Amino acid sequence: MNTQVKNINGQVGEGMDFERIRRITGYLVGTLDRFNDAKRAEVEDRVKHGLSKNGTLTH
Amino acid sequence: MKEIRKRNGEVVPFDESKIYNAIYAANKAVKDEPMVSIDFEYLTKKVCAAIPENDCTVERVQDIVESMLIRYDYEKTAKAYILYRAEHAKIREAESDLMNIYNELTYSESKDADLKRENANIDGDTAMGTMLKYGSEGAKYFVDNYVLPKDIAKAHINGDIHIHDKDFYMLTETCCQIDLIKLFENGFCTGHGYLRTPQSIMSYASLACIAIQANQNEMHGGQSVPNFDYAMAPGVAKTFVKEYFDALAQSIALKQGMAYDEALDIAKKISKEVPKPTISNAPAYGQELERWYDEALDHYGVERDALVSGHKNAAKTAYIKTDKATYQAMEALVHNLNTMNSRAGAQVPFSSVNYGTDTSAEGRMVVRNLLLATDAGMGNGETPIFPVQIFKVKEGLNYNSGDPNYDLFKLAIRTSAKRLFPNFSFIDAPFNLPFYKPGDYNTEVAYMGCRTRVMANHHDPSKAVTCGRGNLSFTSINLPRLGIEAHRDLEVFYKKLDEMMELVSRQLLHRFKIQCSKKGKNYPFLMGQGVWIDSDKLGPEDSVAEVLKHGTLSIGFIGLAETLKTLTGKHHGESEQARKLGLEIVTHMREFCDKKSEETGLNFTLLATPAEGLSGRFVRIDKKKYGIIPGVTDREYYTNSFHIPVYYPISAFTKIEIEAPYHALTNAGHISYVELDGDTCKNPQAFEEIIRCMKENGIGYGSVNHPVDRDPVCGYTGVIDDVCPRCGRRAGEPVSIERLNELRKKYPNMPVPCDCNH
Repeated sequence: MNTQVKNINGQVGEGMDFERIRRITGYLVGTLDRFNDAKRAEVEDRVKHGLSKNGTLTH
Repeated sequence: MKEIRKRNGEVVPFDESKIYNAIYAANKAVKDEPMVSIDFEYLTKKVCAAIPENDCTVERVQDIVESMLIRYDYEKTAKAYILYRAEHAKIREAESDLMNIYNELTYSESKDADLKRENANIDGDTAMGTMLKYGSEGAKYFVDNYVLPKDIAKAHINGDIHIHDKDFYMLTETCCQIDLIKLFENGFCTGHGYLRTPQSIMSYASLACIAIQANQNEMHGGQSVPNFDYAMAPGVAKTFVKEYFDALAQSIALKQGMAYDEALDIAKKISKEVPKPTISNAPAYGQELERWYDEALDHYGVERDALVSGHKNAAKTAYIKTDKATYQAMEALVHNLNTMNSRAGAQVPFSSVNYGTDTSAEGRMVVRNLLLATDAGMGNGETPIFPVQIFKVKEGLNYNSGDPNYDLFKLAIRTSAKRLFPNFSFIDAPFNLPFYKPGDYNTEVAYMGCRTRVMANHHDPSKAVTCGRGNLSFTSINLPRLGIEAHRDLEVFYKKLDEMMELVSRQLLHRFKIQCSKKGKNYPFLMGQGVWIDSDKLGPEDSVAEVLKHGTLSIGFIGLAETLKTLTGKHHGESEQARKLGLEIVTHMREFCDKKSEETGLNFTLLATPAEGLSGRFVRIDKKKYGIIPGVTDREYYTNSFHIPVYYPISAFTKIEIEAPYHALTNAGHISYVELDGDTCKNPQAFEEIIRCMKENGIGYGSVNHPVDRDPVCGYTGVIDDVCPRCGRRAGEPVSIERLNELRKKYPNMPVPCDCNH
């Protein structure tokens, strides 16, 4: 899907970013570059969910 | 002295006579609501009194005029005034907007232009991507200004509602669940030639892609296969039969010193006498062969022990070869669906496949190999982004140890933990189960990858099925705005909500009427090939109105969390009270949809809108209108449907528990996510526990998100923070070819760089 990497004078990958695949609205997107500004902000805000069982509501 | 800020930002002294003139002009436009000068003066005075001292905008003044006319019961004049405003807004736009848009599309790169990234799977930098945008923006403009009733156009433009896929308003429907079994039965036609019933798993898989692609070009949403395992299984069976007799012939040829061609002729004759070896009946089939041999007069020159040992070899070889062919077919399917074009080359089809419930050996072989191919990734190990895969979880079939497909459920979990797919849908959810009839795939709920669901059928309850149905169109409500404007008064909130739902229903019916004006010939594949339910009875000149009634008209919403903030000060992750109110609101919305279905005989359903482009649009407008309200308009997006806000720390299990009841209410579709960090995700028990928790809480459709990063240089896939754990480079940095060659000894599948030293 992505660009072929090139060997230029014995060096590979100059200027190439990492690909970061994320799910938005149910489907995956190959790289964050294509996200619109709002969704990009949303992805950046996402926090991980822990697996503790006593995650009761805070009041 | 009051001041007014004009649209171009200029601040000018407030001029009372302008108000007088505007009301006067609006009143003159209506016939039977006479007003005299004293009325005009009185209203003008009221408006002036209501105008705030500081920083009042023209829009705000116009809002005040509108509300005064309504308050003093000049209903018709108010309506004329609203029309006048909309008309002028339209003229202002006509002068600049469309051409400005074309300008931006033409001269900006998509990284700088949000407009070109509205949909993340369209590459706005390519020629065809831009061409598609010209068409789309022009169509939206046409629909806003010449098609939509004025108040509806206004509601969309000002951000009360969002009409999704408005560029396709005059053209088609959203999506469809394609029954490949029915389509393949007699072969099909894509418009440029007839495709016969496929004869091997390889052709089954390629034709599946072609069908998805063909249908995608006739609809504006995605395409889904609801019964992928059931649909591919006959292809596996056909390949097995072919491989079996091929291997039998090889074996006989070897044993009896016969030419292979001659042996194959014999094998074919035997296949007519004793038909249909299958993966699961192999031992029984062997016995049948022996029985045939003992009873038959003509053995076509085969010796008994050559046949017996030939069978053993053939059964084993055919299994191995069929399994391999199935893997290759699934690998090809994934590659095809990530590379084949739709819509003038601007996109790949938005494809989804549902599977997991077919317990036949053939269906299981399909699913196992699709999962393995997904796990392996694309050519350089990249994560495939299509098709969206949905594993259908069902007790008794794949949920518990001892269930026939439990191994596939486990494999699905392992695959999802690495590749983000499959997602998981739950047939046992209390709102999905009543439709389910064991063994009938048409009654198993299937999801369009993003979330859309069809099942109940108000139009024709005898056809409460999955196949051949889909969403016709959907429109979402800006729920947080209703919350803001209610000023914590629930009665006001519900009143506004009902008005808004009424407006959206009217709009959906307006669009439906346009959709109904189409004929069979407008959809050569969808209707012409009988993909849509009951369309096989339609001719090219027949109206599609009747068959479309099986589809759904959906009212969506986003930002329940922000809405609850406006109404209670807290969202449903934060307080029990908000949690209760959230359910009350969404129940109210569902009841409205059910009532609309009763009234119209159509399928009005409630959608948990995920909102891609929309998530930013509503809040951008509301920020301008209401300023920054903490917890409401202070971010760049409104929260997806009924989700707990993504930034709110909460345990996975609590999140599932809180979101689950909304799945039962949002019958047009829904999805819940849990976000895991890379390490937890590698723990299959933890992953499975989350999926089980979803199932036990009555979630309809869910998935686990986790970071999947990849370094295109060394091919490492996993979590990459700043430095790639495999080759040690940072983003943008190069690595020496020597280092990569060294690494390749350990990781032979690393991408091979092209040599550019010429």
